[in-house]
Amino acid sequence: MEMEYGIEFKNVTKAYKKKLALDHLTVSIPTGQITGLLGPNGAGKSTLLKMLVGLVHQDEGIISVFGQSPSWRNNGEIAYLPDRGRWYGLQTVAEALAYAEVIFPAFDLDLARKMADSMDLDPAAQISTLSKGLEARLNLILCLARRVRLILLDEPFSGIDLVSRDKITQNIIDSMLDLPKTIIICTHEIHEAESIFDHVIFLDKGQMVLAGNAEQLRAEKGSIESVYRQLFQ
Amino acid sequence: MTINEETLNLQLDLSKPLYEQILHQIRYALARKDLELGAKLPSVRELAQQLRVNPNTVMRAYQELNRDELIETRRGQGTFITTKPQKIQHIRDNLATEAVNSFIDTMQELGMSRQTALSLLEEGEW
Repeated sequence: MEMEYGIEFKNVTKAYKKKLALDHLTVSIPTGQITGLLGPNGAGKSTLLKMLVGLVHQDEGIISVFGQSPSWRNNGEIAYLPDRGRWYGLQTVAEALAYAEVIFPAFDLDLARKMADSMDLDPAAQISTLSKGLEARLNLILCLARRVRLILLDEPFSGIDLVSRDKITQNIIDSMLDLPKTIIICTHEIHEAESIFDHVIFLDKGQMVLAGNAEQLRAEKGSIESVYRQLFQ
Repeated sequence: MTINEETLNLQLDLSKPLYEQILHQIRYALARKDLELGAKLPSVRELAQQLRVNPNTVMRAYQELNRDELIETRRGQGTFITTKPQKIQHIRDNLATEAVNSFIDTMQELGMSRQTALSLLEEGEW
């Protein structure tokens, strides 16, 4: 299979005060696939995602997103789900979706409503009253209903119930079928998520320790979860 | 006749390539004649959802089965098991030969003679 790498980091370094978040990181992310970005806390995963949308700038090195440097100008093509992100609590689910259509380029309101329905989200419910799991489902819809080239999900499964996780996984699978997209998922819930990864990147202390096709890694070393344990235990 | 995901009953082990397991299990089900000729298979979406795997993984397995003409994808209609019994017979023979060869390899690795291996086979429980 011919592989295209639409996203590239070349020798990228970023320090927050004295602490190195990314340390001369060189990594490529394949186009049209789901990539799992894995590693312990502080490995640099969230920093990497923030850099792709221009929220954090590198001290050194080159970042290329489909041939361009990250900038707010290109963010119309990217949907980003931040870790611990919150939406406006006073809106209802229906209002949030309608508002998202106004503020996000390429937001597909029909698709969003269908997703909300399949995820058992009550359109009349006020966001501040939603459980953590339901709020996570809503946040995911606000990303996946955008017809964009790149989707970045920072910990979409963390701290939520099993059913919500399943619903989120189902929606990610569906949106891959809908349009070939590039999706990057940072997660600690490896067991939960590994079956949907095409590609996996392991980061530690701002450096890449291993990367490859998920199926090939399984053939050579076993489950992605066990590879993670071998690397970090 | 439509084959649903429960009939296929695929069991995936995350420690091995998922695509190979899907391919292997469908091939064996076909060889056993568990799946009716001409029956409709679950769509890529249905199977990906049920197995919770990346649609690319299911697609790859289906492509391989298509290449061997064990299944046939008809535009706008879905994916169907072949209607040709000789295709099934062919895969059945191939899988059996593969199993025999691997048995012979193991016996040779253990230093067994053909004679001993044959008598062990005779004594083996079926």
